[in-house]
Amino acid sequence: MTRFQIIAIRLLLLALVLAAWETLPRNNIVNPMLLPPLTDVLKTLIQIVQRAQVQEAILVTAAEVIVAFIIAVPLGALIGVLIAEYEYAGQIFKPLLFYVFSVPKSIFLPMFILIMGIGFQQKVAYAAFSTLFVVIMSATAAVESVKADHVLVARSYGATRMQILTRVYVPSMMPILLETLRISMIFNFTGVMIAEMYASRTGIGHLIANWGENFQLPQLFAGVILLAAVAITFNEAVRFLENRVSAWRT
Amino acid sequence: MKRPAPSTVRWLILAALLVFWELFPRTGIIPELFLPALSKVVVVLARDWHEYASELAVTLYEVFFAMLIACGCGILAGALVGGIALLRNLLLPVFSSLYAVPIVILYPIFTAWFGIGSQSKIIFAGVYGFFPVMLSTAAGIRTIDEQLLLAARSMGATVPQQIMRVIIPASIPTVLTGLRLGGALTIIGVVVSEMLTSSAGIGYLVTRYRTILDSPHVFGAIVMILLLSIMFDVLARAVERRTAVWQTAGRKQREVEEPIGRAAPAPV
Amino acid sequence: MKPNLTVVHEAPARPAIEVAGLNHTYAGREGDVPALSDISLTVSAGRFVVLVGPSGCGKTSLLMMMAGLRHQTSGKLDVQGQPMAAPDPDRVGVVFQEASLFPWLSALDNIAFPLALRGTPKAEQHARSTEMLNLVGLTGFGARYPHELSGGMKQRVSIARGLVQDPPVLLMDEPFAALDEQTRMTMGHELLRIWSQTSKTVVFVTHSLTEAVYLADEVLVMSARPGRIIDRITVNLPRPRTYEMMGTETFAKLRDRIWQQIRKGE
Repeated sequence: MTRFQIIAIRLLLLALVLAAWETLPRNNIVNPMLLPPLTDVLKTLIQIVQRAQVQEAILVTAAEVIVAFIIAVPLGALIGVLIAEYEYAGQIFKPLLFYVFSVPKSIFLPMFILIMGIGFQQKVAYAAFSTLFVVIMSATAAVESVKADHVLVARSYGATRMQILTRVYVPSMMPILLETLRISMIFNFTGVMIAEMYASRTGIGHLIANWGENFQLPQLFAGVILLAAVAITFNEAVRFLENRVSAWRT
Repeated sequence: MKRPAPSTVRWLILAALLVFWELFPRTGIIPELFLPALSKVVVVLARDWHEYASELAVTLYEVFFAMLIACGCGILAGALVGGIALLRNLLLPVFSSLYAVPIVILYPIFTAWFGIGSQSKIIFAGVYGFFPVMLSTAAGIRTIDEQLLLAARSMGATVPQQIMRVIIPASIPTVLTGLRLGGALTIIGVVVSEMLTSSAGIGYLVTRYRTILDSPHVFGAIVMILLLSIMFDVLARAVERRTAVWQTAGRKQREVEEPIGRAAPAPV
Repeated sequence: MKPNLTVVHEAPARPAIEVAGLNHTYAGREGDVPALSDISLTVSAGRFVVLVGPSGCGKTSLLMMMAGLRHQTSGKLDVQGQPMAAPDPDRVGVVFQEASLFPWLSALDNIAFPLALRGTPKAEQHARSTEMLNLVGLTGFGARYPHELSGGMKQRVSIARGLVQDPPVLLMDEPFAALDEQTRMTMGHELLRIWSQTSKTVVFVTHSLTEAVYLADEVLVMSARPGRIIDRITVNLPRPRTYEMMGTETFAKLRDRIWQQIRKGE
């Protein structure tokens, strides 16, 4: 199977799905109240992005996502690196981190709300909180992935700590760091969405929840498509970078 | 001075946290609204045990069926997509791109379609768990050492025998991981959806009591959820550990693209 | 009694393995690749034959064909007078470089695996596999699991498994390559002991020239791809072979000759 054939088949599958989305509701095979035809959804999408209310919501969500990311990533990276560097700390905290993962962090959302209300701060704080742990784990994994051999070689040639950091650690970790960014963003975005859907007066998540409650399906689907498109675009962009940097990775 | 064992330190940390949980609210360092004293939470749980238990039952019911969907479909799909080269090349990248979308935004669609009862939660949590389980199984299937199949063939094993006596035993570690992941994720998915729009379940209790600012009850529910997920995780890992040695980690084990999401399943 | 010491006058029994005019090509990315070219060889019953050659010369492919795991494009390949249409553990036992033991089975169960495939009764499985376990020197280790065994022990189990159905022919594809040198030497010695106790025909593939001379009755040298047999070297060292023989001039000369031939064929 050549690359071309693979891409062609995928496009074909996509076309089939989209075609079904259009024809099944239009011909009443599927209830159009529950699944608005694709073209209706797309028309609605174009309408809503021109509305001031929606544009504001997008900006609010974007701001929350970015700020939470800027908080969680450096903090998580720092903690993760410390855990990786100090083995004792690692032995203590790593098992705890694993348990943290199986716990739904959304259960702490009410706490954030009780303390901070339902505004911008609370959503950023919650999203940063839920992203923090995956950043920590990934950072730890990234540092540990640097092969001890490479470090040893560098040291035996008299490299200083700074040189080892920049010439061995950073290039070694680059692919994982990019993957970390990608996965952290997924977690971050999800955190913001949950906070907005749960209790908020602003943001796209809130709008979507609203549209759902009021049974405005075309708008709801439009919003979902918009968000999905943004999420996938970001994901693929980072993945592209990841692949470029990790050609050497064994 | 000799350092204490890490596990001892962990228990000490946990014990300290519990102590702070009791003292800080009592002494007013943290307002009781934000964090009610541990003893108060325990009292509330004991007193209203019946209510908590019946809502927990609803949650467990939903988790069970969601797990059937997430693990059943996820493991099957993962085995097929991971095992069949054609499907893998075609579909795996598509699925891992879809993983980037916060599934939670689909929840309003499910409530519009299925109402706010258990059905929408089961389906949502099922879908929520499906992708990571599928990706994890697809990755795991590829770690089955091909050499084992060659050895079996050289001993005259028929295709059914190869499947029953090699592929299935060799897949068990992967399947168990899928079950653990699926269970953890469906618990998360069910709790989130119950918190968002619901009339029953432990998550619903969290929301209900939060809106009337009854912190002890909120935390009672939070504690139950914590216990549920941790107990499930401990149990699942114990089972997984027993078969860990079956992982055919031969020298030729291929580097499989594993999303970090394999260890860190859910963005929630 | 070892068949090797019997007199030459005895009319040769049917050869264990007969290859005539064998060619093999496989489909590569840019067209057909000739892997083996006009291979003809005969392995007499009870002989220990070693195949050597540069990487990629096709020796493993040839062995796979003898095992029935691959089929040649053209030419004859008979084992015990019959072609190998499919793997046949009654005729041929195979030992691979990676021991390929099933991690979920104990050593004893691994050895018994071919018998289990046949539906052999449990009691007989146990008896046969214990017998093999003892033969390879692992008495008492039957209940251990592969992850509890060293590399050398795993290969012993693998050999026992290859022998459990008492096939007349044993094929071995670089079985000791993954072991450290010292273990290799011990295992080679052990293998010769086992072989002398069971009078099987052995075809052994290796990269190690020392190993080849130490173990073999006859060394077949293959050229680089497309692989042809470019030399047959008889190893006249007496049996049982000893470590001391490795230091003799005869040994060195044989090794040298093999090496020269390999270089010529590259």
